[in-house]
Amino acid sequence: MPSPIRILTAIPICDGHDSAINTINLEFIRHGIEVVYLGYHRSVSDIVRAAIQEDVRAIGISSYNGGHIEFFAEVVDLLRKHGADDIKVFGGGGGTITHEDAVIMKRKGVDEIFFAGTSLDDMVKFVHKRYSKPRGKRARAKSFDQELAHKLTEIEDKKKIRNSKFEIRRRSRVIGFTGPGGAGKTTLIDELVLRFLNKDRRSRIAILSHDPSVVGQGALLGDRATMINSQNDRVFMRSMATRGQAGGLSPATRDSLALLARSGFDYVCIETVGTGQEAMPFRRNGIVELTILVMNPDYGSRLQLQKIVMLDLADVVVVNKSDLQRARTAHTEIEQRLGQNRRHQQLIDMVAKRHRDPGVDQLFALISRNPGAKRTRN
Amino acid sequence: MSKLGQVVEAVEKYNQFVLEQVKRARTDEKFGRDLLGRWNDIKAKIPTTRTPTGLPLPRLALPEISEPGEIARYLFGDGLPGEFPFLNGAYREMYLEPVREIESFEKNKAVAAGVSPANRAKMQPTRLAPQEEPTRLFSGLMLAEDTNERFHYLTRHQRTHRLSTAFDGPTLYGIDSDADGVFGKIGEGGVAIDTVEDMVRLYDGFDLGSPNFSASMTISGPAPIIMAMYIAAAKRRFGSKVAPKLRGTIQADIFKEVQAQNETIFPIEPSLRFLTDMVEFTTREMPRWYPISISGYHIGEAGSTPVQQAAYTLSNGFAYAEMFAARGIPVDQFGPRLSFFLDCGLDAEYIALARVSRRVWAIGMRDVFSAGAKAQLFKLHTQTSGRSLIAAEFKNNLTRTAAELMLAYMNATNSCHSNSADEPFTTPSEEWIRVAAHGQAILLEESGIFKHTMNMLSGSPGMKAVERAVEAAILDEFREIERLGGVLAAVEERYQRSQIQNASHRYERQIYDGTRPIIGLNRYRDGAEEIPEVKLVRTPRAKQQLQVDRLRKFKKKNAEKAKRALDKLAAVVERGENCFPTLLEAVEVCSLGQITGRLQEVVGRFRPMV
Repeated sequence: MPSPIRILTAIPICDGHDSAINTINLEFIRHGIEVVYLGYHRSVSDIVRAAIQEDVRAIGISSYNGGHIEFFAEVVDLLRKHGADDIKVFGGGGGTITHEDAVIMKRKGVDEIFFAGTSLDDMVKFVHKRYSKPRGKRARAKSFDQELAHKLTEIEDKKKIRNSKFEIRRRSRVIGFTGPGGAGKTTLIDELVLRFLNKDRRSRIAILSHDPSVVGQGALLGDRATMINSQNDRVFMRSMATRGQAGGLSPATRDSLALLARSGFDYVCIETVGTGQEAMPFRRNGIVELTILVMNPDYGSRLQLQKIVMLDLADVVVVNKSDLQRARTAHTEIEQRLGQNRRHQQLIDMVAKRHRDPGVDQLFALISRNPGAKRTRN
Repeated sequence: MSKLGQVVEAVEKYNQFVLEQVKRARTDEKFGRDLLGRWNDIKAKIPTTRTPTGLPLPRLALPEISEPGEIARYLFGDGLPGEFPFLNGAYREMYLEPVREIESFEKNKAVAAGVSPANRAKMQPTRLAPQEEPTRLFSGLMLAEDTNERFHYLTRHQRTHRLSTAFDGPTLYGIDSDADGVFGKIGEGGVAIDTVEDMVRLYDGFDLGSPNFSASMTISGPAPIIMAMYIAAAKRRFGSKVAPKLRGTIQADIFKEVQAQNETIFPIEPSLRFLTDMVEFTTREMPRWYPISISGYHIGEAGSTPVQQAAYTLSNGFAYAEMFAARGIPVDQFGPRLSFFLDCGLDAEYIALARVSRRVWAIGMRDVFSAGAKAQLFKLHTQTSGRSLIAAEFKNNLTRTAAELMLAYMNATNSCHSNSADEPFTTPSEEWIRVAAHGQAILLEESGIFKHTMNMLSGSPGMKAVERAVEAAILDEFREIERLGGVLAAVEERYQRSQIQNASHRYERQIYDGTRPIIGLNRYRDGAEEIPEVKLVRTPRAKQQLQVDRLRKFKKKNAEKAKRALDKLAAVVERGENCFPTLLEAVEVCSLGQITGRLQEVVGRFRPMV
């Protein structure tokens, strides 16, 4: 079976009209398309960077606030400049984009503009028809990130990886983030990224993020939309759909992570999908050297804690949303639960979404103070 | 229980009170007789006017009832216009043309208003004051000087100058025009404002301190900064004592941004804090200013149901009231400075949505916040629905807007904006703006629907049925929000957002599967697609470049001072003080983007909700 089509959707900078794109995204994933959703108010460089890193087939832009002729043209131009003109651009803007505008936009390299009244079916058909053909032989990458992105696609498509023309550098520290859906893993990673970036002006970070595929359908890969600090040239992010594999990761995760870990990043963060009690996505002595379990204070009864396998395996347990009423009880109960393990696991309370949160600072300090902690221990 | 839960109880209690009054009027003979006497008094004092065809009509129409229980139900349950609980209107008289033939009109007016005989003479001049037109037109395009020109054009025939300002994308997001990647957005969809100098240009030639002038600014994320620029610009032109005279409204509605419109730039809590700083300042220093316009419009436009729109708007309003009161601002000071903004579309609920909202607000403010009469008023601006307009066969939009205008005025809105038919595909052009404005004049001035009898269309059984159903549904929404821990907690867990998105998807699905007929789109569609040949208003590149150039000049000129002002601002925010007075200083030498950027360093950026 061929791999699903991957596209990226976004709304331009200074534009918050996300009503149409939300509807369209859902329709796309219902029809087997994997959508990396970048969110609203996104600059040209954010969109192009994400499209290259995610190595999507096309970018769909929904623009309602004007300036679309320039904006779409800038996206096309920047893709070209980065040697990524195999990524195509299409979009729409209800009635704000006129037929006359569309003619100009197409002349500047945009594949298609949808007008008000186009049915969702027609948009889905267009994407399937235009972007489902297998890619031919690809031109040599123009940048390290682009080459990495191409290789990740090859891993996902189970193709053999070519040798790199770029030098492979030192091994990265790999940190795994797991925990139930809605616990705040994405927000925590994004807040840590801000601290990584500020601490060392040259460091680079990679993020491998996972979202579930809908059974028999596509996937909405939406982590980027809420990440405000990770849209940065020093961050390489890749979003993967689980494509039918249970346990929180994708069939291609292992090889992708191995590739990222030897690609010279200072840190590689891997985020699982929201996991259940029995999940153990990261094995002991695997490539992930520090495992962080992010939890909500609302896990249910104390008995539930006994069933969470990751509480035995994680190096650090984070109780996020510690401003919630139940957080103190949660802290006490989890502390006791970890005490049974006698492994000196760390327990940190935080409100990850809060600016300059001391709990996130504490975790950051722990990560940067203790390079290779686990390796020494094992 | 948050204040919202108390509002639910207050409305239920009030409805129970009404039922008791009805019962009492029927059982307690003296009470019933007194009510009947009062009712006959009211009827007798309603002035009569004559239509141009000679028909005598009462200025206010009352139900034809004489049974004390029904009278009680009307007077307590609905209230006369201008009387609690204000179902029929915030004011005693609205939309009415000057009386043609009157019978002891002045005397009646004074008596009805409860004015002592000695003071009746003093009232005379108020009748002579210029009547304010309820028409508002939203405008903003290209650079400040271009919008200024448009403002002068729009108000050339008006006695009162009520300007409603739209800002471009970069301004709405607190970004400077010279920021990376926004060049094409400069002056698109609204006016580009980067500095206090732009603000001076924007309202040039208008007397900002005059009672006949008011400015409305539709901006929320960076509202405190834009407000500070407006005050600074006014001071530059009219001296330092102008602030107390300034009239107008700034939207500054953070909750609805997070729920629907996505123009939030700081995290929710600091956004609310900056807003409260501004409200604390304006209620004290600028008693004529409306520092927040609690807006359902954008919630409606994002695809909510009408009930969701009203419920979220009202609950946001109560949450703000709770917040301002917690800051120590007296409710009778901030209450009268709150105003509301609702969408009016074509769904059945709109026949009574604002009427019910007015009633729920009044009861909540009186019985939960102990507000006095002026702070109980739900003062409403309505805009016809932009979402209901479509590009295909766009002239049909005139009919849609006309029907929505009728509904808006049947709700006794205090002011109204009618959309231009060309809005689905461009910033409205002069031709269609003119048609839209005249649409209102035709309804109010030309037709006899509102000008002789202000409530000619109120009180039908159908309207009453919608009122009851809508109020019950609003209270259900309140209960759900209360269950989630109140408005802020519900916002943070995306409750309102998810509900709105869900309703929006349903709306779109209904259009696609045809269960929601849209004429010219999914029904009675002509084979050939009509391409509107309306001239587009687009900002020329040269103008965009001009904006960038003068912004850079401003920044260069003030570089040293800006650094000091920003340091001071950051320090004030870190210390947790009211930052508005410092903002007033900062806007003299800093651009919008410089201030936003520095504040974001201190309090963080808004993390989008999806």
